[in-house]
Amino acid sequence: MAVHIFGIRHHGPGSARSVKQALETVQPDCILIEGPVEGESILNLVAEPDMVPPVALLVYSPEQTTKSAYYPFAEFSPEWQAIKFGLKKSIPVRFIDLPQSHWLAIGDGKEDEENSGEENDPDDSDIDENLPEDNDEALKDPLGALAKAAGYSDSERWWEHLVEQRQDSTEVFAAIMEAMTMLRTEVPTRADKMDPLREAYMRNQIRSAIKEGFQSIAVVCGAWHAPVLVTLPPAKDDVALLKGLPKIKTESTWIPWTHSRLSFASGYGAGVTSPGWYQHIWTHNNRLVERWITQAARLLREEDMDASSAHTIEAVRLAEALASMRDRPAPGLSELMESIQTVLCFGNDVPLRVIHEKLIVGEVMGTVPEATPSVPVQKDLLKEQKRLRLPAESGEKILDLDLRKEIDLDRSKLLHRLNLLDIPWGRSQTAKGKAGTFHEIWQLRWLPEYALPLIDSGKWGKTVKEAAENKTRETASETDELPELTKLLNAALQADLAAAVQFSMEKVKNVAAVAGDIGHLMDAIPDLVRLARYGNVRKTDSLAVEHILEGIISRVCISLSAACSAINDDAAGPMFVRIGAVHSAIQLLQNEEHTKDWLGSLFKIADSPGIHGMLAGRAARLLLEQRVIDAPDAARRLGLALSTATGTLEAAAWAEGFLKGSGLLLIHDDTLWSVVDDWISSLTPEKFSDILPLLRRTFSTFEPAERRQMGEKVSRSSGGSEGALKTSQMPQQMDLDIARADAVIPVLSRILGIEQ
Amino acid sequence: MKEAIAEVGEILRQRAEQQYSEELAQIEKDDKKQRPPNWRMSPWAVSTYLLGGKLESGFEVTPKYIGNKRIIEIAIATLATDRALLLLGVPGTAKSWVSEHLAAAICGDSSMVVQGTAGTPEEAMRYGWNYARLLTEGPSVNALVPSPIMRAMKNGSIARVEELTRIPADVQDTLITILSEKTLPVSELNEQIQAVKGFNVIATANDRDRGVNELSSALRRRFNTVVLPVPSSLDEELDIVTRRVAALGKALELPGEAPALEQVRRIVVVFRELRNGITSDGKTKVKSPTGSMSTAEAISVVNSGIALAGHFGDGTLKAHDVAAGLTGAVVKDPVQDLIVWKEYLETVVKERDDWKDLYRACRDLS
Repeated sequence: MAVHIFGIRHHGPGSARSVKQALETVQPDCILIEGPVEGESILNLVAEPDMVPPVALLVYSPEQTTKSAYYPFAEFSPEWQAIKFGLKKSIPVRFIDLPQSHWLAIGDGKEDEENSGEENDPDDSDIDENLPEDNDEALKDPLGALAKAAGYSDSERWWEHLVEQRQDSTEVFAAIMEAMTMLRTEVPTRADKMDPLREAYMRNQIRSAIKEGFQSIAVVCGAWHAPVLVTLPPAKDDVALLKGLPKIKTESTWIPWTHSRLSFASGYGAGVTSPGWYQHIWTHNNRLVERWITQAARLLREEDMDASSAHTIEAVRLAEALASMRDRPAPGLSELMESIQTVLCFGNDVPLRVIHEKLIVGEVMGTVPEATPSVPVQKDLLKEQKRLRLPAESGEKILDLDLRKEIDLDRSKLLHRLNLLDIPWGRSQTAKGKAGTFHEIWQLRWLPEYALPLIDSGKWGKTVKEAAENKTRETASETDELPELTKLLNAALQADLAAAVQFSMEKVKNVAAVAGDIGHLMDAIPDLVRLARYGNVRKTDSLAVEHILEGIISRVCISLSAACSAINDDAAGPMFVRIGAVHSAIQLLQNEEHTKDWLGSLFKIADSPGIHGMLAGRAARLLLEQRVIDAPDAARRLGLALSTATGTLEAAAWAEGFLKGSGLLLIHDDTLWSVVDDWISSLTPEKFSDILPLLRRTFSTFEPAERRQMGEKVSRSSGGSEGALKTSQMPQQMDLDIARADAVIPVLSRILGIEQ
Repeated sequence: MKEAIAEVGEILRQRAEQQYSEELAQIEKDDKKQRPPNWRMSPWAVSTYLLGGKLESGFEVTPKYIGNKRIIEIAIATLATDRALLLLGVPGTAKSWVSEHLAAAICGDSSMVVQGTAGTPEEAMRYGWNYARLLTEGPSVNALVPSPIMRAMKNGSIARVEELTRIPADVQDTLITILSEKTLPVSELNEQIQAVKGFNVIATANDRDRGVNELSSALRRRFNTVVLPVPSSLDEELDIVTRRVAALGKALELPGEAPALEQVRRIVVVFRELRNGITSDGKTKVKSPTGSMSTAEAISVVNSGIALAGHFGDGTLKAHDVAAGLTGAVVKDPVQDLIVWKEYLETVVKERDDWKDLYRACRDLS
């Protein structure tokens, strides 16, 4: 009987290669791998042809899916190679780490200080890259500490060096064991309280494997744990330690993973900085340097940058020269990237950043076989993705949908539904430069973590549509806030969820009827109006929406003036914005009845006393725009509002409301211009200097360029106030020397061919 | 002609291989590693010479370039692969300095320089004619006046081209044949000069100046480009300034004492803050002047300060000794930069408690 412990580095191609080699030599009859026991039941799926790494083993609590842990595997993960080896030889392969059912239960109460992300990361307590926030590197990256001692700048290179220089890889593991044993006695024990539990559990598992009578047991675990698994003390202590651990129910499945999630930058603790490079080392045995630089050159070419073969040759030469200068047997990633930057990118690092994701991260997404345990909604999504030819891809992609097309409309519905399920696979962008409501621009990017909310939505239904529908109804029934409801209604309508639309519409109607806050009612209008208009493209019944709108608009029109009186500046600000939004919404609706009502209430605001000046001013202005009042009337109102009888602040607010944000309009709209112009020119000089501060307050909010243009417009009208507009549009009067001008005419006529 | 050659001790500025002849000799003696053909020392030794370090014999080599070690390694590796090297960077990032020392270490002669200007003729890159000889003897190799580059090709040493982008584009392009075929055709004689092993070109160019001639892509392709960055940290820059000031002070025989580190630190801080447009605590934004505010200028400010202190003051560097140099370095454009400088004085310098003397000295001047 023999137990072989292989201390490895997660996601290290060097480790993977030597584990594979060692297993070939040792020929074990049982393989034990550091991984959650729960995953064992689905281990056999690894042998399926459709299982393509990177994938992750997801262990989650079905009651509360936020409690979960990912165990990512890449092709170059030693564990992955060990599993594949075991399955190929048809020998038992087992996971021996502490079950996540305990782990998640323990982690429940406390914030694990080691975990940078939300999820519980089992891997990051092992042999990882140094995290920047590390206070003591040796704890987090024991290999790194050893590498530093050996004079290497990064542990991965040292590791590659160490592992790949040797022919007999079993000896490597013996060396690692020795180093780790030393390290564990030298550096203080880690504060992680999970470690003793996990190691006890692993020892227990090894014991039971021995008891079962296996003759040659291979254990693949993080190098840090290796020393304590070699000698097995009496089982008593370990059993006592593991007794009475809290437990929750868990389920596990495989989900596709991506290289970028493996990479360090994504905040995943046990990440590697350059999965693309590792994949490269793993896949190719020879001509690593040439392949890598050629690949970089091709990517640069794809980005329309010069990268000739001559460049590539020089880059390879430089990389090799650099490696020999630094006493390395072969160029590593840093030599390669430096030589690519120097030769191919002319010293500029921007192009490298452009190809970083494709080259260094080597963005790929894994797949899992169909037999993987999954909830029906996952299967439904897969079917939909296939039907709509919209595969889940990890790269960023822009999708331009024309909703008049059947397939695009279905795609849009799917994306909207997923958004309702908290799966923001697609983010809606505002369509620019495309007129009409039938265009939608989506930015797509699938993240592996979406598997979790997807599984979670299984509780709402068996298909994406059903789940979205039920979830929306549930959310709608729980809220009594009008703006939220309208937003939900809008989303449900876009996602084409008839029942949910019906439900939320009812709810909107009910809530609107009792809503006391006119602000909320007003906020609901723009969204509802958009719905009413969208109805045609989306093939939804817009009549119901219009019906609701009718009620809301009449209610708003009735109580608007009351809501605008006796309020302070803080309340007037939002109201000012709302009036503008409702006004343009009602314009959009083009319903005569509503327009009339609305203008009527604006009139009321403009005329009634006690209304906040800013709102009254804006109402007058909107009325002027609608030509309900004419220019002289508007000028009269302006004069009234700014007369000495009115309080200074009130007057200033009125002017602000009348002109706010309309600098450009003032320049180009002659009616508005003449209203202001006429009024100002009718002032006496004394009156003008009284009022000047008020005007300045408004005009100073305009852009400098706008003010300059206004000044030019005024100065162009040389005739002063009288008929300023007319003269400003005429060519400027010039003093002409007629006699000299006449002298040119004969020549000019000859040039133009006009007979005199 | 003999009296025209001055004693070495009298020379205002010695070439790198003269000034550091002892270091070079020691390194050469110690160097056991493989040397590329016609190199005076191995690439490892060149890197030690530039970056400093201790030799096996215990001899201490001073660092010539303070900064990223990898950059120097790339530069040396480039020259070892007989590719031409283009050092790029904003003014004052030690491009010429690095190029001179590289040449000195690799071939022991940094004097084969073509200074690029808008008026650099083709003759300076290829060859000219000795017309007296041409008339008496007719066209022959003897009547040629070789350019520095041609001489370097014949000896198998390093030729330097300073400010490559200032040279007119058509003259720049004469380098293409030299770099790709390593030959220089002399069409008048139907001959060609073939470069001896060890020949290479180091060019410098700055990417900030206006009115430069962009390199043609054909030429650019023949260079490996290494960008020299501005010093990344305050301490690094401080180190550069102090070292250079000490070295220059010695060469110029300035009477002042070695400057107080505190005084130098303040100058470096001023330069960094104005260059980066943000104060060193990262809290206040400041405007940047039009000049490049390079480390080289900081060095000259300290230097002139020491000279002032030595000749007109009490020998120690005081705020009023550096004020004039500082103002001159910042204010390159009399209108815009003056505003920038005054704002900086009022909002940043004035606020700092221990900078009062500097504030007063600078304000008195402007």
